Amino acid sequence: MTQPLNGRRVLVVEDESLVAMLLETILEDMECITIGPASNIDEGEAMARDTIDLDAALLDVNVAGRQVFPVAEALRARGVPFVFSTGYGEGGLPEEWRGSATVQKPFTEAAIRDALMKAMGVAQV
Amino acid sequence: MFGSEPFPQLRILASLRLGLRLNTQKRTRASLAEAASAFEASPNPYLLLTPDLRIVEMNQAYIDVTGARRDEILGHSLFTAFDSGPGEDAPENVRQVKASLEKARDTRQRDHLAVVRYAMPRVREDGSEVFEERIWSATHTPLMNAEGEVVLLLQHTMDVTDLSPAVRADEPTTALDALIGGSVLRRAQSVQEDNRRLETERNRLVEMFMQAPGFVAILTGPDHRFQMHNQAYGQLIGHRDIAGKPLREALPELAGQGYYEFLDAVFETGEAYEGRESQALLQRTPGGPLETLYLNFIYQPIRDEGGAVVGVFVQGHDVTENVKAARLQKLMIDELNHRVKNTLATVQSIAIQTARSHSDPASFASTFQSRILALSHTHDLLTLSHWEGADLQAILMHETEAFGPSRISLNGPVTGLMPATALSLGMIFHELATNAAKYGALSGPDGRVLIDWNLKDQPERILKLTWREIGGPKVTLPDRRGFGSRLIERNIRHDLAGEIDLVYASDGLIAELTVPLDRTHAQ
Repeated sequence: MTQPLNGRRVLVVEDESLVAMLLETILEDMECITIGPASNIDEGEAMARDTIDLDAALLDVNVAGRQVFPVAEALRARGVPFVFSTGYGEGGLPEEWRGSATVQKPFTEAAIRDALMKAMGVAQV
Repeated sequence: MFGSEPFPQLRILASLRLGLRLNTQKRTRASLAEAASAFEASPNPYLLLTPDLRIVEMNQAYIDVTGARRDEILGHSLFTAFDSGPGEDAPENVRQVKASLEKARDTRQRDHLAVVRYAMPRVREDGSEVFEERIWSATHTPLMNAEGEVVLLLQHTMDVTDLSPAVRADEPTTALDALIGGSVLRRAQSVQEDNRRLETERNRLVEMFMQAPGFVAILTGPDHRFQMHNQAYGQLIGHRDIAGKPLREALPELAGQGYYEFLDAVFETGEAYEGRESQALLQRTPGGPLETLYLNFIYQPIRDEGGAVVGVFVQGHDVTENVKAARLQKLMIDELNHRVKNTLATVQSIAIQTARSHSDPASFASTFQSRILALSHTHDLLTLSHWEGADLQAILMHETEAFGPSRISLNGPVTGLMPATALSLGMIFHELATNAAKYGALSGPDGRVLIDWNLKDQPERILKLTWREIGGPKVTLPDRRGFGSRLIERNIRHDLAGEIDLVYASDGLIAELTVPLDRTHAQ
């Protein structure tokens, strides 16, 4: 059976390699293609701008001491949906980004899938 | 001002009236008569008393002002002649006058009663008598003989009931008045002394304001002119010269911050305004940038006697430090939350990925547990240094000590690691040691691991470390990269921005690590 997000290209920005590896594993199970993972903001921004085919992104909010919002700006500018992953929950987001799709750490595979599908507007099967 | 013979004229006068023997008089009859008539003719009311306060003499002005009859009171005690009437204040009024006279007598110095109430009888047209409340101002002067003994007391009193508000110094009208007029002047001086005392009190209050730890300012008028402000207020605004200036001119940077409007409202409505942790941008050094302060303060209206608001009393504290501390605390709690959640996500990742390569629950549990313990131990080392960092050798020793010192060689300089680097290297060495124990040099009885490292210092610290296994079983290239080796490679490249070279040499694994140590977070 084909997964609903089969073949989607998902950018991952996450500074902790173990967490990044987990996201890769989860995305792999959902038959997505991982772009990155980027371990810092500059790298993430470049990937968000320059990757030609990009369907969605998973963005850790606090990346190596910096906040991920420049990457989110770049994605918003080109209309790529994204999901924040954060230990703070949605309440930890600044006013401007409240209401964005969010998964809270630690996350389950189902939470990642649901958040990505919601962000991309893919109907639940 | 006066010589050893004060008021010679009066002493002569007294000697005439009382027949006192005075030993220094060399006066002509003419001068005596002149003095006596001057006393009588003076517009100032005078009364002469014996030291035991019996009435000796009075002048016409005194009779006029008191309404008394000379023959009725002469020779009587002062307080029999004038008892201040039946009012309930009368005993107190009598006490005050008596105390002043006795003081003048006993100290041989003038005493002043700036204001004293003393009721006087008045005969109505129908012949009945009524007591009238009157207000007096009196000076009591001791008159002494050559021996310095007090022989008479001179009372100079003025009815000030209709004078308001203060006692005026009268123009002296005769030579005698000029002399005794000193008493009037003295009384004026006495009032001045009262003023001085009040001023001292006021200065003390002002001093208290000035030294108060909180800031205090008094603003006057609808444009809030600075009438007074204390040290703490000065500190708040960089000790600018604001005295007498209206607020909008004195502190122009407050425009648009709401404070002008709050003060306008207090002045207009007369209702106090209180601010809590209120943010203010103020210039604290001349020409300097605006600094953000947080203030607790109250604006209170100052009213005049009629109840109209004439100014605003400003009082408060700079609570910037408290507000900053509270914010720092929130930041730290957020950071703690972030770290805890990230650590849980790390543990979750280890669990899920360990489970993928260990289908047997017992083997999963043991591998998972050892990975968690390795992570935990690095945390312990970091906690020892309050999360400032950890030493490379301490981390290596912990991961290898189970195999005994004879099988592990550690050789390199003291190397301090930042927390993130320490956590990553702790996990990497754990995976290398686990691999060596399972498949490598530490799986047999004779193998050893040689770990050598050095630091390149320029331009920034770079760690080069070699993990070399010798004397173990023959190494074969693994057919599948397990979680351990993936974790090592990813950690070095992703988290540490370093390099790793894993060489599966036939006589033992060689891992060469290159890790920049002074990497900032932003990189």
